[in-house]
Amino acid sequence: MDETSHPTPGYDTGRSHIWTAETIRAIHSKAELGRYQIRGFSTFQKLPTLDDLVFLPAVMTRLPLEGYREHCETKTWIGGGRPDLVSEPLELAFPVYLTSMSFGALGTNAKRALGMGFSRAGLATCTGEGGMLPEEREASDRLIYQMTPSRYGLDLEHLRMADAIEIVLGQGAKPGTGGMLLGMKVSEKVAQMRTLPVGVDQRSAARHPDFLGGDDLAVKIEELREATDYRVPIILKLAACRVEQDVKIAAKTGCDAIVVDGTEGSTAASPEFQLDHTGVPTLTAIPAARRALEDIGMYGKITLIASGGIRSGVDAAKALALGADCVAIGTAALMAAGCNSPVSVGGVDATEGYAALGTSAGACHHCHTGRCPVGVTTQDPELEARLDPELGAERVHNFLTSMYYEMTILAKSCGKGNIHNLEPEDLRALSLEASAFTGVPLAGVDWVVGPGTFGG
Amino acid sequence: MNAAGVDLQGTTASIDADAWPKGLNRELRRLAEEEGVTEFVIENPRSRHNLAVGQTADVTIRFRGSVGNYCGGLNSGATIHVERNVGWAAGEAMARGKIVVEGNANMATGASMRGGTIHIKGSAAARCGVSLKGGTLIVEGDVGYLSAFMTHAGDLIVCGSTGAAFADSLWQGNVWVAGEIRSLGTDAVVIEASDDDQERVHGLLRENGVDGTFTFRKVVSGQKLWYFNNRNPDAWLKI
Repeated sequence: MDETSHPTPGYDTGRSHIWTAETIRAIHSKAELGRYQIRGFSTFQKLPTLDDLVFLPAVMTRLPLEGYREHCETKTWIGGGRPDLVSEPLELAFPVYLTSMSFGALGTNAKRALGMGFSRAGLATCTGEGGMLPEEREASDRLIYQMTPSRYGLDLEHLRMADAIEIVLGQGAKPGTGGMLLGMKVSEKVAQMRTLPVGVDQRSAARHPDFLGGDDLAVKIEELREATDYRVPIILKLAACRVEQDVKIAAKTGCDAIVVDGTEGSTAASPEFQLDHTGVPTLTAIPAARRALEDIGMYGKITLIASGGIRSGVDAAKALALGADCVAIGTAALMAAGCNSPVSVGGVDATEGYAALGTSAGACHHCHTGRCPVGVTTQDPELEARLDPELGAERVHNFLTSMYYEMTILAKSCGKGNIHNLEPEDLRALSLEASAFTGVPLAGVDWVVGPGTFGG
Repeated sequence: MNAAGVDLQGTTASIDADAWPKGLNRELRRLAEEEGVTEFVIENPRSRHNLAVGQTADVTIRFRGSVGNYCGGLNSGATIHVERNVGWAAGEAMARGKIVVEGNANMATGASMRGGTIHIKGSAAARCGVSLKGGTLIVEGDVGYLSAFMTHAGDLIVCGSTGAAFADSLWQGNVWVAGEIRSLGTDAVVIEASDDDQERVHGLLRENGVDGTFTFRKVVSGQKLWYFNNRNPDAWLKI
């Protein structure tokens, strides 16, 4: 644990690397509370990141496209490789969508802002596990309906109103466990949508109620196709763990798309030890997932989606070059709507709100409290009012536009007329570990550390 | 105009499932909506999976044999009779309608159902009523292990006995057992049912043609899993 990322007021940094101020403070608070710590946001561990990869744009071996003039195709289909099973694949203007975040974790205004912002960019959003909020269906032109093990509010009519269905078999933030929503956010409306007592600390199921493994999930998927007339794609969301094996089994179920959600994925509430110590980084998961699909001849047929820690169009372009067909973003979109900003997107100064949580803009990870001072991750009507959904939609759309430009300009600089033509050969690694994890050759020496996959 | 394997007589359609390796559910919906069919008899179900999934019309569908997994899944209106047994998760996520099974049910019967009635005349295997969110689920025989797991709402009525870890982690809901409870799951507590409760449960049984007299016990949540240990709101800030 790195104490610089996690301030410990009142504690000095001693000389021990084992008993850091952070560790000592954690023990003191556990001793007081009698439980493990729970928080929002994502892992605080130092991880290999996509920053350890760089693009090699065209120089003498190929020609670049004009970054500001020539066209780069970005259209993306989820489930486009399965015409016999999916009559209406989900079309995205470019390969980005909003990952699953529930109504409950987020407030109504945040759901609306995100729905409108992503729709304006020609992209999709996902309901998350709390059921389909009417305001979200209205705001979002392309809505993915999520089925988690808890099946809160699962409804045939909602399934048929969805543009895609996502079945969750784990999330990167807390693999192997179900969703969590603390009592502060289980408002009357949230409780009613989830058939729960108001104010309980909701810890959801980890296993689905009606299938156990891949063979029976295949039958379940057929059930959903029957219920939706073989219209919409079915996505399986996997926490990135034993990626190669998990992806092969997932592919066998007959799904149309697979999400590998890296350990960088955020959450509104999770035990901190799970955030920090479970699952593998997105950077390592994409090559493994690609290898798995290639091995069984399904690469390019099943849409491969990467999520967890995607911060920009640059990260997205690198994920695509490694082998993903699409990325999903969450935290970055919330930030576009004001998360961790000193002033809410609606103009309210949030300084005091952060201080009341013992934190400050830029350092807040208190989604679990429901006291979000910028009105994004809260069910409190007063706090929610701090986020202006219209302005939020504009900011989200602006951010997505920036992602679009970053992705396409990078692709064009590498000589690609289609964003999906980005490939591992367009990348070089700046660290031994990034090379070993991805099979991308080290910059300069063109040497792959470890068994490798690409080039070298 | 009759499609292959469909014998249409007025508002009754007899369908040979063998003629419909695919698209049977859609044909049931079409016949109900466009041809005004209200009674279906399905011959040769042969334990196939995903039969009568996603039906919305107020129709009766009778299966002349056993069916496989997810029979009546996502049901939103139909009354489904199965003359023999059902596979996994009969009536999963059902919102409205009724499912009657003359034989036994495999695991996860009524998983996450939100409304309507499921009536199993035989016994039901593991995880019966898992994540139940509403409606009435009657089992005349026994239920397997982990039944009523994380139940939210609705009535689960077991006239026979239960397997191990019964009603584990249940949130709320009305869970009734007449026979033995092999063991209770985490945070499940047995209480005596009041006379009013007994009358109400017997009323539900009579509505479904079950006439016996039983002495039901109720299983409720101990509510130890409802909250984390420390409920002081400031405790959540200590991170």
